[in-house]
Amino acid sequence: MMLPKQGDPILVQNMTGRYGRLHTRLMLDYGTNVAAGSAPGKGGQSVEGVPVCNTVQEAVEKTGARASVCFVPAEFTLAAGEEALNAGIKLLVIITEHVPIRDELRLVEHAQKTGATIVGPNCPGLIVPSQKVKLGIMPAPSFSPGNVALFSRSGTLTYEIAGQLTGAGFGQSVAVGIGGDPINGSTPVEWMDFVQKMDETKAVVAVGEIGGDAEERLARHVEKSGYSKPIVAYIAGRHAPKEKKMGHAGAIIYGDYGTADSKIRALTAAGVKVAATPMEVPTLLKQVLQ
Amino acid sequence: MRLFEYQAKDLFKQYGLPVPRSILVNDVDGIRGAFASLKPPLALKSQVLAGGRGKAGGIAVVDDPTDAEREARRIFSLAIGGEKPNSLLVEEAYPHEKEMYLSVTLDRGDRAFVTIAASAGGVDVESMAGKVIRRISLDGIDGAFATEVAKQVQLPPIQVAPFVSVLLSLERLAREKECELAEINPLAVGKDGFLMPLDAKVIVDDNALFRHPEFAKLHPEDEFEGEASRQGFAFVRLGGDIAVVGNGAGLVLSTLDLVGDAGGNPACFLDLGGGAQQERIEAALRLVNRLPGVDRILVNIYGGITRTTDVAAGINTVLAEGATKPIYARVSGAEEEEARKLLAGTPVRMYGTAPEAVGAVVKGA
Repeated sequence: MMLPKQGDPILVQNMTGRYGRLHTRLMLDYGTNVAAGSAPGKGGQSVEGVPVCNTVQEAVEKTGARASVCFVPAEFTLAAGEEALNAGIKLLVIITEHVPIRDELRLVEHAQKTGATIVGPNCPGLIVPSQKVKLGIMPAPSFSPGNVALFSRSGTLTYEIAGQLTGAGFGQSVAVGIGGDPINGSTPVEWMDFVQKMDETKAVVAVGEIGGDAEERLARHVEKSGYSKPIVAYIAGRHAPKEKKMGHAGAIIYGDYGTADSKIRALTAAGVKVAATPMEVPTLLKQVLQ
Repeated sequence: MRLFEYQAKDLFKQYGLPVPRSILVNDVDGIRGAFASLKPPLALKSQVLAGGRGKAGGIAVVDDPTDAEREARRIFSLAIGGEKPNSLLVEEAYPHEKEMYLSVTLDRGDRAFVTIAASAGGVDVESMAGKVIRRISLDGIDGAFATEVAKQVQLPPIQVAPFVSVLLSLERLAREKECELAEINPLAVGKDGFLMPLDAKVIVDDNALFRHPEFAKLHPEDEFEGEASRQGFAFVRLGGDIAVVGNGAGLVLSTLDLVGDAGGNPACFLDLGGGAQQERIEAALRLVNRLPGVDRILVNIYGGITRTTDVAAGINTVLAEGATKPIYARVSGAEEEEARKLLAGTPVRMYGTAPEAVGAVVKGA
């Protein structure tokens, strides 16, 4: 697992689509080196002055890129992801929503074989403000350089909380959209371990929601590993009904599995401060950093 | 998408799994017909998607048509988790000595499909004693694997072959139909070692439905859910009086929490999706305005990719169309000053933070 640095070449898959075009421009505006794009049959075109290739392989050969942002529609995400991993992409950010579970599992297996990291699917991407690196769709003004690592299963909630943090003077060392699906290419636990070793990171904010047991696993990991950096969490969905998918494919409670209460209890027992509202996150962060 | 029991059992039949003989009836009058072709005792089972059906009284076992009609009348009018059945599954009771549990399901944490088997069935899978959990390949399992599972749950030799056959069929069904869950609970063990699924629970991966057009028409669609899904909104009806509209699933979910904490009752969860344009705001407001029970509308937008000025313009269009329920809005992020100007002088109540907007909409002030 490695974060891109300022100036590192980045690819955009399906660059000629509506979102590919829009976010190529916004990533360039942020200062990210979007070096090439790919779109089958669109080789030779350009978007915002960035050349488009027919395949990821060609784009990699042209630019030496090791990271790619994928805007390919869900039906074709598996093929596009495999294409990128086979072409040597080591950081694959998948923005696409509605990717089938079995396609996601195949991509996870493939990435484990090639030693690549997948972020998402169904996520806003990843941003490293100090490096002007934005691999995704998050609105730049909510983020600022700093020492808090932010992980979240939800897009707009990430922006909202990043905005609150920025407003309170807490910039971010890195912010990662884990993804709103039942299967995540990389998990909160993996990212926690990664930022543990990152000098710029002084504290962690983990934003979770109902569904699955990622937060319970995170809590166990914090306890077992004796995690050294202070953590503040926020869990959305305390008032959500059971058996209903709340927007995200992964945000669903089955019986007693995946409730906000279970997550909040596990995190609290592990010594993590859990905010009751997004607005409370900066306040708790101040406390744990004292 | 969760299937009704009778739909799941139709799928079981397609995959060669045994199921009790049954008839689906749509009204009380259909019950006598069932007695003509099935052998009592018969189980009458409410066809609802809500959990806890047995405990709620949604199942009755009857021996004669008079009792059956009385029980059918009761079950048809019984709402379980707010849901009344459109049909009852009338099924021959299967005499059995023991009940097992078997499923193929997604293990989210381990990022793999697993099979879970237990030699004693039960209501709560989590606390089931002696259960066996085995990871299964995306490409399927073979007889040797299924036999191993049978041994791990310590089945007597006579039950091994039937179990292997049931597990292989269930796994193939789950894989080919891309199910998140295919569950048999209970799996009845007959005197002769024969295994009979008594209940069937199948949840198909919504995101894989494009590869499975056969599921497209299985569910009667709620008018509002149908429209929301055509518009591309994530939408859940919740039954209260405050419609909650926002951009982004997590943001709307956290807004529901704020409303609930303040003592309010959300009427719905409506996520416009990322990058929402003006027309989408308009469509969402029109939809929640028509939704029965809605008294007030809370709009919570954090503008990023979604432009707050588009949101304001959309609200203005709907205001100009005439009567709308009172709108309480928190619109923040890019271009929020301009958005505020666009809404100045309108009946929309504007707030700077989500807690302020929520406090006001709950009070109805």
